[in-house]
Amino acid sequence: MEMVSTVQNTDVKQSLQKVNERLLEKNPAESLLFDVVLIATDSQQQSSRIISSTSHYGLEVGRFCFSSREDLVETLVVNNVQLFLSTDRDEALQVSQKGVLSALLGRQEAPSESLRVMLCGDAIVRPDCDPVPASRGAAQSFSARLGEMRGRFGVSGSPLSIVLVTSSGGSKSCGVALQTLRSRGLSVDEAYCLAGAPRGPILSLLRPHFLLGDGVIDLED
Amino acid sequence: MSEIKAKDFAPTGDAGEEKDAAKAHFDNLKTNKPRPPKPQYAVTIAVSSRTLFNMVTERKIYEDQGLEEYVAYQRDHENEPLMPGPAFPFVKALMTVNARLRQLYPDSEELFDIVLMTNNHAQVGVRLINSINHYGTLHLQPDISRLARRTAAAAHTFKGSPLYPNLHTMSLQLPFPLSDLTIERFCMTGGESPTGYLEAYMTNLYLSKDSEKVSEAIEEGIAAATMFMAVKENELSDTQLRVAFDGDAVLFSDESEIIVKEGGLDTFFAHEKKFENTPLAQGPLKCFLEALGKLQRKFYAKNERLNCPIRTFLVTARSAASSGARVLKTLRSWGLEIDEALFLAGAPKGPLLQKIKPHIFFDDQMFHIEGARELGTISAHVPYGIGQKYNKGKLIESPAKKK
Repeated sequence: MEMVSTVQNTDVKQSLQKVNERLLEKNPAESLLFDVVLIATDSQQQSSRIISSTSHYGLEVGRFCFSSREDLVETLVVNNVQLFLSTDRDEALQVSQKGVLSALLGRQEAPSESLRVMLCGDAIVRPDCDPVPASRGAAQSFSARLGEMRGRFGVSGSPLSIVLVTSSGGSKSCGVALQTLRSRGLSVDEAYCLAGAPRGPILSLLRPHFLLGDGVIDLED
Repeated sequence: MSEIKAKDFAPTGDAGEEKDAAKAHFDNLKTNKPRPPKPQYAVTIAVSSRTLFNMVTERKIYEDQGLEEYVAYQRDHENEPLMPGPAFPFVKALMTVNARLRQLYPDSEELFDIVLMTNNHAQVGVRLINSINHYGTLHLQPDISRLARRTAAAAHTFKGSPLYPNLHTMSLQLPFPLSDLTIERFCMTGGESPTGYLEAYMTNLYLSKDSEKVSEAIEEGIAAATMFMAVKENELSDTQLRVAFDGDAVLFSDESEIIVKEGGLDTFFAHEKKFENTPLAQGPLKCFLEALGKLQRKFYAKNERLNCPIRTFLVTARSAASSGARVLKTLRSWGLEIDEALFLAGAPKGPLLQKIKPHIFFDDQMFHIEGARELGTISAHVPYGIGQKYNKGKLIESPAKKK
């Protein structure tokens, strides 16, 4: 699976690497792995610094890509990218509006034991309220692949954790989201139903590496 | 080489407008169900899954066969609602109070908010949600049929009146509000301790079966207690929430209990008489009593004192004559009221609690908890203070802390 990041968020890459390592431990012939492509849209002068510091931090980046902002989406499509990660909300939104699934990177204060992927359940339960309908198809197929990957590990001790958060519906609609995701092959580990409570305090505890399915509402509400 | 800092998350241009529109859309979605109150105004009660529901069988599977088997079992039985647990009557009573509050103050958010706080895996959560929904609808049906029969009987007596032809088209007027089991908020942490989330939800009271989590919460300053099912079931009120508290080391600090344990009763009496006018320090459940008092006053303000659906009890081993005054004066100094104060002067609490029939009884000493349970009172142990170091009056050697 190809994931692309525009920024050196070392913790998310280390967590992705750990997932790959654990997958290969279970099955040395495993083909469902994370493949990270680092894409830089800043000026070319940065390129050598980016490459050298990536190896300095011991990060296994599959490929480097230097693109301009205008060509970003095309570059992503050409490289068969399934998920685009960014800390820039506008950039992420633009990309997802063109049909490529994108997610915001979370701020990591401390390294965590597993890769924590957060899904926002509101759009799953009410697809007509989906802020970015263009990338819905990409989101569903990514969830299925992620589910497959998660399924390689047991209930506990997984290097990959799937976290579901619903902001506005009640417990019933969160239950619907859980079952919908399950029917698409994605088994959620943790679920938080806020039912209108302020997101900030809970999100700061959840510390996701990235948040899927919430193109408009940002991580730090 | 400096890290590229993450950009500011402030909304810009189109993205900002879209965000506001989406938020407004969510906020304005109409629903007939009452919306849960905002945490900062509500009295938040967090209950664990094993206190809300009876999961004894399932717990055994977890202990004997491990986590994977346990989760698989729960998934296989997902559509079978769980039986009520020790906190269930208490939660139902909270809903009753909410219904009365909504009647008197339709726009207020000063209500009870129940949050299911569990470290269960989210896949087990599906069964929990199904169980909550089962009790949410089940409660309504018997009440409606009973009411329909009563209304039909009343209609019969009006046969002769000119209103009679219209009675069968009259809509069912309910003389009292029906309450649902509506638990809209939850945290299923998939293994992590829920303590951090308790603070995030501004929890006023946490009930769990796990004494370690309860101790952790108390250490963080959150009122918490370990729940125990009663050995038999007393019939509890379904119109009034009744909460009973022990005094020392529950509402008050354990300073007086220390004196009893170390100096004996006579030293204790002398000490209490001497410091009669000095308020005792706060105990872990003082704030919860305070929160209950705040809601009670909302009923008093609407002339509902005699009909108040919250009633509080102090059930203490102290005796009124020798050590009672200090307790009452302390409560007065805190501006707190307690509806009934019962001084037992050392008599067992079980029989008295059997008469009071509280939905929950808080005490710091296990032998009082056992005594209460045996006679049908649902009890909650508050692991605080010097009482934890003693068992049946003898000092326990504290074991080395488990890692």
